[in-house]
Amino acid sequence: MLNQHPDDERLSALASRDDDATADAALASHVDSCARCTELVDELGALRMSLAELPDLRPHRALQLVPPVADAPVADGAAGWVRRLFAPALTAGAALAVVGLVGTAVPALDGMAAGGSIFSNVGTNLDGAAPGAEADRASRENEEPAASQAGLAPAEGGGDGEGSVTAQESQSDDFEQVETFDRDLPAERSPWPMVLFTGVALMIGVALLRWILVPRAG
Amino acid sequence: MADDPQRPTGNRTPPLPDEAAVIARAAEGDRTAFAQLMEHYQSACYGLAYRLLSDADQAADATQDAFVHAYRAIASFRGGIFRSWLLRITANASYDILRRQQRRPTTTLPDPDEGAPELPDLHAVNPVAEATKSELYRHLEVALRLLPADQRTAVVLCDVYGMDYNEVAEMTKSALGTVKSRIHRGRVRLRELMAEHRELFTG
Repeated sequence: MLNQHPDDERLSALASRDDDATADAALASHVDSCARCTELVDELGALRMSLAELPDLRPHRALQLVPPVADAPVADGAAGWVRRLFAPALTAGAALAVVGLVGTAVPALDGMAAGGSIFSNVGTNLDGAAPGAEADRASRENEEPAASQAGLAPAEGGGDGEGSVTAQESQSDDFEQVETFDRDLPAERSPWPMVLFTGVALMIGVALLRWILVPRAG
Repeated sequence: MADDPQRPTGNRTPPLPDEAAVIARAAEGDRTAFAQLMEHYQSACYGLAYRLLSDADQAADATQDAFVHAYRAIASFRGGIFRSWLLRITANASYDILRRQQRRPTTTLPDPDEGAPELPDLHAVNPVAEATKSELYRHLEVALRLLPADQRTAVVLCDVYGMDYNEVAEMTKSALGTVKSRIHRGRVRLRELMAEHRELFTG
């Protein structure tokens, strides 16, 4: 037998004849010998019966008994649209993100392979040039002497020292122009990071919309 | 919903005399038959929605939503008690509204200190309801409104509409223990709120 009154919720369980409460011998024994708890159980039982008797209520306004159209969609507004479009939008976002990630990663890996180190590309990027620009510049630098040897060979062959100097100056000017060209023009930006960003933003956006608009369980 | 023979049902809408035939016609697309069913049970549905939502307009909206859902689903009704089936749909529609309302609470929450809220007309199916009973029902409706929403939902579904604990847990997507606790706490709180009208229980 319990030395003190059981809590009221336990007595409520007894009033509704819950299995765990009715099987509790100590609880039953206490209630049998306690006027306060007996009265409380009786009141909770009467309350329960009164709740079960509550009558139906007449609507305060006329209701439409049948939907106007046989296949009328449920009027669930924005939440319905978000629910319907969630999976396709999320899939599209994921696809964009994967494509963007691959597109961004492959040139970087190529750059690593060509330059031996990713830090050479990073340095180039910090100077404002595209990752491939240094490789292009190196390629041009290798081509310049070859072109001068091929194109200026007759001048050198002609023994015209002045012509040779002019050609070298011209060659030097050309090189400067190339350098200036590289510095002045904005670097050509790869579209893949933007594709990646768009995909991730789309996924986050639809997830947020669903979280805000669609009712959740619990 | 559990069919408890101990539960009083005298104030609730009884089944239609030829209900099975009306349901069969409605399931085949007879709009008149469907309207007959909804007209018959609209007070039952509205009563449940009103007690869950504590708002007359939202209760009407939930009942309307329930009718649309029922219209779509009636072809899949596989027997049993039609009233219970329809009330379950209504409870789901009401609970959807309740969850949205809890996630975006408005600034016009009912003030418990404002006194008794205006209730819809009590629609007693029994032609003559005793005055004491009417008074008891009115006080119970007010006390239900003053319960926290989670306790009110559990008490209404279990004690007023006879769902068992598992059904309430499934509908509210809550753990069984949580549901039991809400019901018992709600009942104890209701008893406190009804303390001044204790004599009505034995009236």
